[in-house]
Amino acid sequence: MRSDRVRLIVSLALLVAAVVAMLLPGGRPASGIAKLFSRIKLGLDLSGGVRLEYRVDIEKGTENPSSVVDDVWMVLRNRLDSAGYTEAVVKKSFRENNSFIIIEIPDATDTTKAEKLLGSTGLLWFGQAIDERDTDPTLNPDDVNLALREGAKWYPDKDGKKWYLIKKEINNRKDLTLSGPRVIEAVPTIDQKGVANYVVSFTLAKEFAEIFKNITKELYVPEELYVPEQVLGAGSTQYQLALKKRLAIVLDDKVQFVGFVVSPIEDGRGQIKGNFTFDQAKELAAILRSGALPARLEKTTASLVSPTLGKDVLQQSLNAGIIGMILVMVYMIAFYGIMGIVAAIGIIYALIIVFGFLAGTGAILTLPGIAGIIFTIGTLVDGNVIIYERIKEEIRAGKTPKAAIEVAFSRSFWTLFDANLTTIIAALFLYYFGTGTIKGFAITTIVGIFAAMFMNLVFSKFLLDAMAGAIRVRKAGGAQ
Amino acid sequence: MKIDFVGKRYYFIALSLVLIVVSLISIFTKGFNVGLEFIGGSELVVKTSENYTVADIRSKIASIGPEFKKARVIEVHAIGQAEEKTFSIVVSPKDEKGALRTYKAEEKGQIAAKVEELLKGKVVSFNEVSGDAADEIKNLTWKAVVFTLLGILVYVALRFKFAFGVGAVLALVHDVIITAGFYSIFGVEMNIAAIAALLTLVGYSVNDTIIVFDRIREFGRKYKGKDMANIVNDSINSVIIRTINTSLTTFFTIFMLLLFTTGSIKSFAFGMTIGVVVGTYSSIFIASPIVIRWVKSI
Repeated sequence: MRSDRVRLIVSLALLVAAVVAMLLPGGRPASGIAKLFSRIKLGLDLSGGVRLEYRVDIEKGTENPSSVVDDVWMVLRNRLDSAGYTEAVVKKSFRENNSFIIIEIPDATDTTKAEKLLGSTGLLWFGQAIDERDTDPTLNPDDVNLALREGAKWYPDKDGKKWYLIKKEINNRKDLTLSGPRVIEAVPTIDQKGVANYVVSFTLAKEFAEIFKNITKELYVPEELYVPEQVLGAGSTQYQLALKKRLAIVLDDKVQFVGFVVSPIEDGRGQIKGNFTFDQAKELAAILRSGALPARLEKTTASLVSPTLGKDVLQQSLNAGIIGMILVMVYMIAFYGIMGIVAAIGIIYALIIVFGFLAGTGAILTLPGIAGIIFTIGTLVDGNVIIYERIKEEIRAGKTPKAAIEVAFSRSFWTLFDANLTTIIAALFLYYFGTGTIKGFAITTIVGIFAAMFMNLVFSKFLLDAMAGAIRVRKAGGAQ
Repeated sequence: MKIDFVGKRYYFIALSLVLIVVSLISIFTKGFNVGLEFIGGSELVVKTSENYTVADIRSKIASIGPEFKKARVIEVHAIGQAEEKTFSIVVSPKDEKGALRTYKAEEKGQIAAKVEELLKGKVVSFNEVSGDAADEIKNLTWKAVVFTLLGILVYVALRFKFAFGVGAVLALVHDVIITAGFYSIFGVEMNIAAIAALLTLVGYSVNDTIIVFDRIREFGRKYKGKDMANIVNDSINSVIIRTINTSLTTFFTIFMLLLFTTGSIKSFAFGMTIGVVVGTYSSIFIASPIVIRWVKSI
């Protein structure tokens, strides 16, 4: 039949598309049958990891709240990257007039470290660097004493490879401290003097310009004292004096930058030079712009699932799914014979479509998502049952199997549609209002329903037509 | 072979009323074992190879802090985990003002370490929900429930005559109350997954009812003038196999999920398992017989 050819082609095309989506490169490393599923993204409840959600506490009347959230995002991203959490995902989320930041760190087994990193408000300050070391000075009694004598403290740089002795009070002047300055602009720009290096240009908010002017006046070192470093020799007294007058930019007690002030800055607009590459300049600009969190973060939810628990849970639910599926197949074949085999093949077909969808779209499979798929296995044969019972009735009423199939399909469409519509209503609202992993249930349930409808109405129709000759129905039965 | 469902309807209605009353009593006196998402607080899931009981766990962790004296401890069972025991510990840490708070980063590390030391086990999961977040989740969940019910009511109203609509909605209310009652009676955690089960169940229960009602309409037109009780009974008899088969296949999968899994998903599977059974029962024995009362003709 012509229409059956069309059904076959469409069914096969969809199957091929699903399998291709599952086999494309870029999945997790896996071997054997697991390779088929390696492109399906697993939620943290299955893969293990840390998920943190913070509400961004934005002060009322803030002009541009979404830019505050952007800045928070940038700071947290920087902190995670510099702590080696490059796999972490940082997301912004807006619900009911509140802004949230969600951080997901796959495979993390410790939530304390991550929370410490993210939860600290972050404090950016400017200080005076008076000395430096290449080994940890806090282990050296002489250096510890030096710090005590100078009234300063040792701070590591952001890579933890260098230590600087830094005073918060510039030249010991109590009125000259600059803590938590608001940087309204900081951008990486090309060095005007033609060297292919980048500098960071920044502008402080007006209220900080005056104090910054005074600090830079104090720390100002004439160019001839620091540039010809090689000429003067690192050992010269003048150079040693200049070294004690460097400006330090510190974030969360980690030194971000130390350098000479080459001219007093009158208007709060400064430039930081340091042979930066573009990326370094961009990073420093980001730190300046948003180094200190511009808003308080309040932890709303935190979850840690150890990878071993995730693995257990995944295994348990897979076992449940496989055994449940086998039971359904056996039952369908026992009850409906040849038509049951069509249903069993249909289950596999619909599952491949669902997994193909997940692999192709990158939708995240969570534990509730697996529950949705398992539920789908149970309900997708409902369509088969409804159609098969109708076929049996029609055959008993004297129709040939072929004719019975035609009538059953045309009459069952609306019943199937109705039956699935109510489940879709429930799933859609769960998706819309649901939080966290439960959205995964809504996704797989909806996708499963569509895959099941397609399987029931197109794929099974083709198979049933092909096998129509083999369909046998007992004449006696429950129907009248 | 024809079974007289309609003739015995009063027995079934009586059985359902008993179940509903028992459920309501349990819901309003014992209440629910409410999940972390809705009450807020912290949950630690600990695995230990020691053969502890829940009481052992309670006494061992009491020293950690004031909130641990009032901790809710539940043993988590699943097939195939014989050699290790898993416990869920739920605590509600309070600040000086007595409001629910979340732990600080360092505190979490210390608590996890202490629990591991005291129970000779491993903390495999540590979840926190702040009071605000719990309020928000509750609020969103209520919306999901209300909108789903409204959506289904609108659907039923458009799809059926008034009498059938009433029958479908009564069956649905019946299913939800009894399933919720089972959550309360067995102390199964009422969490988001449980709500998802109840909402899915609502959709599913309506499906089953629709199948029977469609058949009643069809037979009503075919055998005009016949006694309504007979029509309903014939209709139920003619769809009973397909109703049982569709429910049974769903039951197979969802019951396996109940047997094999742990944690929040077990709550989902519990509600679905009970719900599929109750929903099938109600669409055969409750929804259809009660429409006889209202429907004189189709």
